[in-house]
Parts: sequence; structure tokens; C-alpha cells
Amino acid sequence: MKLIIGHLYADLMNIYGDMGNIIALKKRAEWRGIEVKLKVKSLKSKIKKGECDIFFFGGGQDQQQSLVASDLESSGKGKIIKEEVERGIPLLAICGGYQLLGQYYKPHNRPKLPGVGLFPAYTVAGDKRMIGNIIIDTQFGKLVGFENHSGQTYLKKTGQPLGKIIKGFGNNGGDQTEGCIYKNAVGCYMHGSLLPKNPALADWLLEKALKIKLEPLNDSLELQAHLQALMLK
Amino acid sequence: MPYMRLLLAILAGKIIALLTRFFHIGGGSAAPGLYALKIEPKLIEKLIINIPKNIVITGTNGKTTTARILAHIAQEAGLKVIRNHTGSNLERGIASALIADYRLPTTDYRLGIWELDEAAFNSVVPKIKPDIIIFLNVSRDQLDRYGEVDKIVNDWCDTLSKLDPKTTVLINADEPDLAKLKNCFSNTKEFGKKDLKNIKLNGLNGSEFKIKNLIFKINLPGMYHIYDALAAITCAKLLNLPVKNLTNFQPAFGRFEKLPFGYIFLIKNPAGATEVFKTIAPHVKPRDRLLLALNDNIADGTDVSWIWDSEFELLPKNHTYVSGTRAYDLAVRLKYADLKAVVEPNLKKALQEARKGLKGSLFIMPTYTAMLELQKILKKRYWEET
Repeated sequence: MKLIIGHLYADLMNIYGDMGNIIALKKRAEWRGIEVKLKVKSLKSKIKKGECDIFFFGGGQDQQQSLVASDLESSGKGKIIKEEVERGIPLLAICGGYQLLGQYYKPHNRPKLPGVGLFPAYTVAGDKRMIGNIIIDTQFGKLVGFENHSGQTYLKKTGQPLGKIIKGFGNNGGDQTEGCIYKNAVGCYMHGSLLPKNPALADWLLEKALKIKLEPLNDSLELQAHLQALMLK
Repeated sequence: MPYMRLLLAILAGKIIALLTRFFHIGGGSAAPGLYALKIEPKLIEKLIINIPKNIVITGTNGKTTTARILAHIAQEAGLKVIRNHTGSNLERGIASALIADYRLPTTDYRLGIWELDEAAFNSVVPKIKPDIIIFLNVSRDQLDRYGEVDKIVNDWCDTLSKLDPKTTVLINADEPDLAKLKNCFSNTKEFGKKDLKNIKLNGLNGSEFKIKNLIFKINLPGMYHIYDALAAITCAKLLNLPVKNLTNFQPAFGRFEKLPFGYIFLIKNPAGATEVFKTIAPHVKPRDRLLLALNDNIADGTDVSWIWDSEFELLPKNHTYVSGTRAYDLAVRLKYADLKAVVEPNLKKALQEARKGLKGSLFIMPTYTAMLELQKILKKRYWEET
């Protein structure tokens, strides 16, 4: 069995430990005897339908983010990613990636960046940076991470949040929601890195990608780190 | 009575420094400045004019080592040096150092060497009005405090554009992210690989290199330390200081420290940690052990995501211990690099365990506050043992 991970704009959108999510997906598949191939999809590459089993989209800085936003639109990659998610391909997007997969992102003093429109959400730049440890309650149990963003994301009526805030700011620091889940695509603001300390979510994404039920792993260290994070200030 | 206010601020700072030392509630490198600045917000501007030449050093990695090498060169040349010690590189650290130094009359020629962190740089440089500024490098470090790399460089640019054009700005030419700074200021000079010849990395024993016709030996391992030395030497030459070899130079505690039973290497961000792993990996022998300690206090950065951007995969599969307030995060990181570790969050206990039955050397890699903790533990032990 083989797993192909499509790492979107890995060279431009890759901060705050985004690599940890790729490492977690790769290792947790390999430990189960599944061969993993990593494909970086960036400015000059094309994405074919059915080429990747799962996508990861990390965060970026403002300049890179606008470059990527226009490439998603002009190259048609945004449309393909959306179609792939529509047919059930799983995706994880953190921070900047999450923002670009919404309907639009409006930075300070600059024109709107177009979004892919995958998540029924939009983001506006805020004045306050929302920084700190974050805990949310979700269908995967409690998720722990670290958020660091000034963009405020608002879900449309049809948007389903990934979870409810137990601690931290979340989407916009106001409505107690964090992230968005649409079909098998998850977008959120949680760094940390997210997947290593939240193995339930990592395995859910892998199961959706491989369309099989996975054997559980010994996650005692991961769960200890998770527990430690639940108790952080 | 503006002068009275300054004297009052200095007095308050000196008393706080005395009290903190007396009651052992800190090293006196931050609190005196913090409170004195509340009494006299212009304290730095008013005291710094007594110092004829001032150098500012900033960057993500290597500030303390560069400052120490430059201070070493200046002191060998007979200059009195004033600098902020112990990595206290915010405004309060500068103020504390100036207060501690304040004596009347102030006639001797002195050199101020100030290390400033990426963010404090912008607020403090206009107050110091330095003669020379050194930019070492910029990479991800505690982004929860500093913001993103682009933003850091843009802010530096803004600060430079408002400075006296007579200031000299020294830039590491081999750091692509710093190249932009050349457009923000007219009087810039570069240092980099182009200046270095005959580089010899002698493992943990240090390195050798040649600049023009002079051979330098430093007892610091790794290429990254050669850059620190080069920055200091370039600056010293601009100051017309005589530069001799650096064999007498002693590194700062924990940056790279030789202990009777091993070594300490500070790790604090992906670029720095990966350099450390690359430097030690070829020299770790089968009977050596590793001890890594990760804290998430403010001075370490409260976001520990950075460990996932650091290449722990480079570490050898030796007997390893993990410790610190986020010991389990480290254990998970190592697990995903196919490395096993014993978890002991209490650093003192972890150190004891790691030394028990140790036949080789212990390579200790702590984050900043874990290093300070280690310094305390080891000092106490030295006293007990000697």
C-alpha cells in the first residue's frame, strides 16, 4: 500500500512547525507498513486529479501568501484542490493555508486576496495578534495546539466549526469557534505542531486518505504530551 | 529638575541591584533597569552619551558570542568595555548595565557593546545612536514574540532609515534574508565567506581560519561560530583595534561549554539547534549520552512548534534523556525521528540519572531557561565537590 502526500507550496508556506504535521502523517503511515511518497506542489507544478491521497497546506508570511493566492487562482490548482475535496480527498490546512482556502482574505491596506472557496468562511486582518496555547473540543476529542495569528476568520451559516474553544482565541477571538471542517478537509489555526500531539486527528486523516481502518499504535508518549498540553497556562 | 530625576533613577536602580544580589532573587540584569526606566524614561539617552563609541549587535543567533569576542579583543587592547551581560538583551538590560557602570567622574575611554534582540532593536537603537551596527542573521525564533522574518527585516529597515548616515552598518553577506538591508541605508559594509581562507573545523576542539594573512584559532566548534568571530573581527578592525589570535577567548556559559563530564550546547531555535546537531553528530562516541531539555518559559518562547522544524533526525542513536517543562513534546519529537529517550521532566534528576554510570561524555542541549537552571545546579555541585 502506498500513500501520496501533496504538500502545497511547501517552499513558500511553511512556518511554525508545519513540518511536524507532514512528519506525523509520514511516520504514522510508515509504522503501519505503508509506503509514503511526498510531492511538493508549488508555483510551477500541476496537480492531476487523483494524483494525491491527501493534501497539507501550511502557513506563510504576507508576501508569500499573496503570491500563492494568485497562483491558486491563475494556475487552476485551487479549483482542482476544491474538486478533490468534494470527492472526499482529505486535507489539513493550518493558519495561512486555512485562510486561502476560505472565500477571501482581506489584509490591512491592501486589496482582497481571492480564496479557493473550499471552506465557507472569510478572513479579515485584525489589529491584535492572538497568541497562546489553545484547547478545543471536537468530534476527535480535545485538540491541543498553539495559535499565532492576527487574521480573524468568520464562518458562514453553512460553515461547520472544527471545534468549540475551551481555552484560547480560535477563529476570531469572539464567537468561541475554532477552525472549519468540510467533508474530509480540516482547516484551523492550530500549530504546535498539531498532528503529533493529536494522534486521533492524524489517524482520521490517514484513514480517509487510504480508505481503510488502521490498526492502533502505541501512543503513550503522544498522549502524555497531549495531557501535558491540556494543563498548560 | 531633570538631572535630579536621572540621579534618582540611578540611585533606585543601584539599590534594587544591591537588594536583588543580597537576597539572591536574580542576577540584577533586568530589574534595576526596569524600575529606573519608570522614574527616568530617557535614562539610556542620558547615560549613553558618556560612552565615546557604541556598537549594537543583533540577529537570531550568535549575539552573545559575537559580543564576547569583540569585548575580548577590545580588552586585550586595553579598552574598558561596558556591555549588557547574561543575554539580557531588552531595553531594561541595557539600562541595568548603564546603571551598574555609572560612576563619577567618567573620563576613561570606554567602548559600549550592546546586544539587542530582534524586536528591542527598533526601540533601543535610536536611543543608543550606535557608531556601528552588526547584523548577524535572521531566522525563525520565538515567533510568538517577534513576528515573521519578513516583518523583522522590514522593521529593521525602518529603524535604519532614520539613523545618522555616519553610522556604519555591518551585514553578513551570506544571509540572503539580510540583503534587503543594503537598500535601507547608504553606509553598509559586508562580511562573509569571501573574507575567510583555510577554514579548518577541528571538531569539538574548535576551528581555525585565516583572514588576510592572520591565522585565527577559536575554541568554539562549528561554522556558525566562525561567522560570530568574523563579525567581531571585522568590527574591531573598523574601530582600529589591534586584532590578535583568539586563543585566550572563553565562550559564554552554555553557548558552548566544556564540563569535566561533557559539553553544553544552547539550543533555542530551528537554525541554531540544527547547527548544533550537525556539529556534534560526527563526534559522539558509542558510550556518550545525550540530555535534551525543553522549557516553554517566555525567554524560551512559549511556542514549542520550533522543535518540529529542527532536524533531530541528525542526532545519533545514543542513550538519550529528555527533560524540561515540555519534556514529553521532546520525547514525541525524538520518537518521530526514530530515537528513543528516557523522560525526566525534573532537570536536576535528569542530570543525575544521565551521569549515573556514565563512561563517555554527556552532551547537554538545553533551551535558554533550562541552561540557566543547569548553571545553578552545576555551580552548586562544583562548590560541593571542591
